[in-house]
Amino acid sequence: MTHTPHGLRARNSRAAALLAAATVSLAATGCSVANTTSGDSAGAGNTLRVVLPQEPPTLEPCEASLTATGVVVRSNITEPLLERNPTSGALEPKLATEWTQTQPTLWTFKLRPGVKFSDGSDFTSEDAVAAIERSANNTALACNVQGYVFGDSGKLTLAAPDAATVTVQTEQPDPLLPLRVSFVEMTKSDISTTEKVREPVGTGPYKIESWAAGQKLTLTSWDGYWGSKPRYAKAEYQWREEGTVRAAMVVNGEADLATNLGADDGAGDTGVQYPNNETTALRFSTDQAPLDDIRVRQAIDMSVDRQGIITSLFGGIGQPASQLIGPGVVGYNESLTPTPYDLTAAKALVDQARADGVKVDTPFRIIGRTAQFPKIAESIELIQSALTQIGLTAKIEMLDTSAQIKYQLRPFPEGAGPVALMIMHGNQAGDAAFTVGQYFATDGAQSSSGSPQLDQQIKAAGALTGDARQQAFADVFASENQDIRGFTFLANMGAVLGLAKNVSYTPDAATGDELRLADVKPKS
Amino acid sequence: MLTFLRRRTLTSLPPLLAVVLGVFVLARLTGDPAALYLPENATAQAREQFSAAHGFDQPIWSQLIDYLAQVTRLDFGTSLRTGEPAAVMALRAFPATLQLAVVTMLLACAVATAVGCWAALRPNGLGDRISSLMSMTAASVPDFWLAILGIWVFSIMLGVLPTSGVDAGGLSWVLPIAVLMLRPAGVLTQVVRGAMIAALGSPYVKVARSKGAGERRVVVRHALKNAAPPALTVAGDLAVGLINGAVVVESIFGWPGIGKLMIDSILQRDFAVLQAAVAITAISIFVLNIGIDLGYALLDSRVRQKVGAAA
Repeated sequence: MTHTPHGLRARNSRAAALLAAATVSLAATGCSVANTTSGDSAGAGNTLRVVLPQEPPTLEPCEASLTATGVVVRSNITEPLLERNPTSGALEPKLATEWTQTQPTLWTFKLRPGVKFSDGSDFTSEDAVAAIERSANNTALACNVQGYVFGDSGKLTLAAPDAATVTVQTEQPDPLLPLRVSFVEMTKSDISTTEKVREPVGTGPYKIESWAAGQKLTLTSWDGYWGSKPRYAKAEYQWREEGTVRAAMVVNGEADLATNLGADDGAGDTGVQYPNNETTALRFSTDQAPLDDIRVRQAIDMSVDRQGIITSLFGGIGQPASQLIGPGVVGYNESLTPTPYDLTAAKALVDQARADGVKVDTPFRIIGRTAQFPKIAESIELIQSALTQIGLTAKIEMLDTSAQIKYQLRPFPEGAGPVALMIMHGNQAGDAAFTVGQYFATDGAQSSSGSPQLDQQIKAAGALTGDARQQAFADVFASENQDIRGFTFLANMGAVLGLAKNVSYTPDAATGDELRLADVKPKS
Repeated sequence: MLTFLRRRTLTSLPPLLAVVLGVFVLARLTGDPAALYLPENATAQAREQFSAAHGFDQPIWSQLIDYLAQVTRLDFGTSLRTGEPAAVMALRAFPATLQLAVVTMLLACAVATAVGCWAALRPNGLGDRISSLMSMTAASVPDFWLAILGIWVFSIMLGVLPTSGVDAGGLSWVLPIAVLMLRPAGVLTQVVRGAMIAALGSPYVKVARSKGAGERRVVVRHALKNAAPPALTVAGDLAVGLINGAVVVESIFGWPGIGKLMIDSILQRDFAVLQAAVAITAISIFVLNIGIDLGYALLDSRVRQKVGAAA
């Protein structure tokens, strides 16, 4: 079989054409992935483009206390009866206009008239009762908000005496009930009580227009909203895992707002720093040597160079922490100051413990969750280095969320040995009760220390209101630091928001958990 | 040929089943996902209810039998994380990865063939040394670094390409493919170069040249055709890696592919989605391997004869 040069050329041409056709056709089929046109630019003023660290797994309103869900759904698609002002801490009216404690165990909420769901139906007290019942009492549904804010509140008895009134009966007097209810997003009474709902209908200023899973979520404003119409007619959410990419999208004009940026993500002039709700700390298992001796725990506390870590690793974002909550939360103790960095005094304490027979040479683990906050691994390495200098032996273990959470939640793994666990706690509720019950009480779900005396102090503080409550919880933090020292507090964390030049928005402590689109406006 | 395909299919089934079973068992050895999906202070009773509702309280062999029974009905279960059918999530993500992988490999093969042949024609010449340096560098550069660098140069500094995403049509493909193809192109260039140098020095090429065949015919019809099988083998391995999911590229560029889905499923202990994703990629790799075998048959008459004999 022979080929003429012409035949060879023809064959080669066909092969080349085939290759080109295959490439073009694949690229064309790729249009199923990369075909959508970009939304309106921010300059057009109609669409706000937001880039988040991750796609919301669901928009189920009763999961709104999960950051990835709440940042989209809260006060945008659905709304609560009342909401906490993240700056002042005061509860403000939303779908309820007033609320009163009509009896020690009975709260009455008056609903705002004229509120509609985005499907056009009226919002009534029956809807409110169903939503609270679903979030607070329905244990089978296992809503995250149920565990987060209603875990210790007992069963609620709900009623709707008329179309504009809701009553909530508690088993015990509960001064925090309105605050707890502020975490419940209102949904329609016919919403499933056995299945979680991925795309809810709410009363918020936006409704879901489309959700191209894996790519983009688009919300659109609707005409029947009871409040002021938001300035942006649409909002497009995208998600990029890398902070540098989120920052680059804002810098490059592909997004108007990027959340959860780090100091060195490259947001440049578009970056706006703000304090968030999170506090980082090492939590000790206090039942095994060498961490069962308070002097060792105090020594670890003294050996952490908080300011050095914040300056060198966090880019100056954040403040040295003295307690597990930040300023603005009820119970914050203004008089506590971060433990001074003093390696000499720390080493002296370790030596003293050793002289008294404490097994200070027993190695313990510092366990961290990968990517829990920027530079977590480097922060732990710095701490480990300081511990070596004061005569302690710590090994670092970085785990993924699923593995780390076994050490965070009771029951802890058997035979785990002494552990210093790096934690990050965010008090979204604004009241110390949601922190100390979890972390300081001996039976707290995330507690590995405590004492009967502190338990009593926590219980007594929880029953108080007003200034007495503030002082009682402040005393709890002081007592924990003084008598137990089950934690080494690292930093009240901060974050950076990427904000395009033509967009106006002032971030607050709740921005990372609840990004209210109606508060974002184009610059005129 | 049909007999060959049938035999190949049958021999591929055991490893396919082993992969599915392995992932099923290994995933469950990582622990009960209840802690990830229930509220932090969920009671022990609530955790037991969760485990029972999803069958995690059953012995692993019992779970496996139930799972295999489901799969025979093409039911891969429901995602714990999103509540969507796992198969829907995996099938939605897979085409994005497949498209990226195929276009990347086609371009990488084209570049590697051209550069590898050019370098082999003048071994140890300046062009050969430059191409070797570039291909070795391309094969060694980390994806992550290259992706961030690409965004910085082409999106931020020059403003000619989007940083990420799939919104900008064809332009959305440029950076992900450029980053993704660099390593396969570098590796393949070295393979093609080596195979071509060997082929161009072989007796049949000398015979062809002595008969007066033109250089182009010698290179394309004689040398390249004989150098192609080893390159095809390496290209197949590289393609398998891409089909498994270009996790770094998908994560950085926001490409909604199956690699990112699998990593997220592992981290979230979303077993149903992980199993569906692994099953789909395993099947596609099995199909790819058959394609490679057929490619051998087309390129090498000895293999073709064996296939013919088998049929």
